[in-house]
Amino acid sequence: MADPISAGVSQNGIRGDHFAGAVLVAIAAFVAWENRAYPLGSLASPGPGSVPLMLALLLGGLGLLIIVRGGASPLLNSIDWNESKRGLVLLIACGVATFALERIGYRLTMIALLVFILGVIEHKKVLPTALVALGFAFGSYFMFATLLKVQLPRSPWGI
Amino acid sequence: MDGVFANLMLGFSVALQPSVLAYAFAGCVIGTLVGMLPGLGPLAGISLLLPATFGLNPIVAIVLLAGVYYGAMYGGSTTSILMRIPGEAASVMTCIDGYAMTQRGRAGPALAIAAIGSFVAGTLSVVALMLLAPTLATFALRFGPPEYTALLTMGLLVLSYMSGGSMLKTLAMATVGLVLGMIGIDAMSGYTRFSYGQTELSDGIGIVPVAVGLFGLSEILMTAGQPATPPAQKPTLRQLIPSMEEMRLSVGPIARGSVIGFLIGIIPGAAHIISSFVSYGIERRMSDTPERFGKGAIEGVAGPESANNAAATGAFVPMLALGVPTGPITAVMLAAIMVHGIAPGPMLITEQPQLFWGFVASMYVGNVVLLILNLPLVGLFVNLLRIPYSYLYPAILCFCVLGVYSVGNSVVDVWIMLVMGGIGYVLRKFEFDLAPVALGLVLSPMLELSVRQSLAMSGGSYGIFLDRPIAIAMFGAAAVLILLALKPLVFKSKDWRSDVGLDETTSQ
Repeated sequence: MADPISAGVSQNGIRGDHFAGAVLVAIAAFVAWENRAYPLGSLASPGPGSVPLMLALLLGGLGLLIIVRGGASPLLNSIDWNESKRGLVLLIACGVATFALERIGYRLTMIALLVFILGVIEHKKVLPTALVALGFAFGSYFMFATLLKVQLPRSPWGI
Repeated sequence: MDGVFANLMLGFSVALQPSVLAYAFAGCVIGTLVGMLPGLGPLAGISLLLPATFGLNPIVAIVLLAGVYYGAMYGGSTTSILMRIPGEAASVMTCIDGYAMTQRGRAGPALAIAAIGSFVAGTLSVVALMLLAPTLATFALRFGPPEYTALLTMGLLVLSYMSGGSMLKTLAMATVGLVLGMIGIDAMSGYTRFSYGQTELSDGIGIVPVAVGLFGLSEILMTAGQPATPPAQKPTLRQLIPSMEEMRLSVGPIARGSVIGFLIGIIPGAAHIISSFVSYGIERRMSDTPERFGKGAIEGVAGPESANNAAATGAFVPMLALGVPTGPITAVMLAAIMVHGIAPGPMLITEQPQLFWGFVASMYVGNVVLLILNLPLVGLFVNLLRIPYSYLYPAILCFCVLGVYSVGNSVVDVWIMLVMGGIGYVLRKFEFDLAPVALGLVLSPMLELSVRQSLAMSGGSYGIFLDRPIAIAMFGAAAVLILLALKPLVFKSKDWRSDVGLDETTSQ
């Protein structure tokens, strides 16, 4: 928990909990809206839409309470997002790897992912990067696919 | 008692088979590593190993995964004491006095007391598990849908009340988990809900991609790029021996930590984390010299380390006796059993005696293995801490992708993990507890089914929940928890979190 003074409790602005509560209310509204497709049934015999609707109402209510009681939470702009840029790049890299996984196979995907993270993000030298990437890709494939019989995708070229 | 002894002998005949013994040992080693390495907690470790257990027999699978779980509790103390880095969340409290002892040149005794405390607590709680679980399972045979409704409702409220942070936020996260659990086919009507035409979603969202995303991936996103940590000290065998005074001071905290940890472990939530906070708070309060805490008090290591190990075992009681997980870790372990066609629930112990008693016996063996791994071999494990994190986290990331993909050979699961990783990262920034999301996801179909089955049984009358004594007792306990949670709001008083050192400003 951030120090209330440094976090700006005495200052004006949107609080972290105000924002988080509003997002929860929006999610609740979305769930309730999407739930229109399912019959609600009756109180005595609830249909498939009844429990999701109740949960959406509960979530919306909790979101509102978080907003109401969020006055003492840190200011939204005081939350430290320093590592978010690196995190986003990692997520995108994993997304590309996921897209490639069944297309170019497990081993080539892992080699590409590790080369990108170690070589481009972490600025490691070529030799250690290559050794780790190749060692991990082939080592983990051998352990999981060969020894533990876990099915892993192969590339069209058999790798 | 004779029955218990005979069953335990059956268990040892299973646990001492070479293959079971080998997997118990492997689980303990992997667990110790998982506990030591930041960014890879027991949940992520167990989730990643899950696909590898599909080809094993169910006893071996559960023994391996349990070894990882309680092994992580042992291993977590090493980095906390030597480097002030909690390898996993339950070791946060050990950092305070453990690292202070290291700075005073007493790292060895701190490691030894942590390992001994973990061993004593782990062994005592296996005895309690062995005696309590069969009794609870027999009692639970009286449970019908109304009782399960009450139990699950009470469980979610206990989880929220016992959470380290804001009760409102925890309840909101549990509700998000319950909503996620609505995705897929409705068991009562056959409707497919919120799947948007994706056939992979018609079976619902699996616990593994959600758990790995929320806990494993989000941790990497938080910690990647952190500056390198200083090298850890490597104590010799001679330096591990505690003084008589340190032993004397540790006896009480270990005993109290064992009892507190086991009891907290049974109730839902992040029990192993909460138990270490509660134990630390109690030891500080009971001490004649509380001013020593924070400056290297051995009681501040002995209590929390014993408590988190006992809690890890306590969590197996409702899992094995009722088939109800108390947290995401036991939920993944239940999934591992169910893959083999074994239905969890009160009948598990009678229908699968080899599995239950083999599991119990393997935990006795596992605790001995872990004591050996964490005392004489601690230097060997410390060497692994020299691997730079910049090499470690990419490998963990690749293991996350590999583990999640291989559970169902599904790329959709990997996408779910990535989305959950991003969501988990943002939720951590806003100080939301993530465990309730995973638990809500698992409990959601059970809760919905039990509510609707109860109403079908009673012809639509909600009075069925008030006609059954067990259900009334559980709903009564849930009402008491709500009142306890409201008390600090109405009377502006402090709640239990402030007593154990958790930040009361988060408790709304």
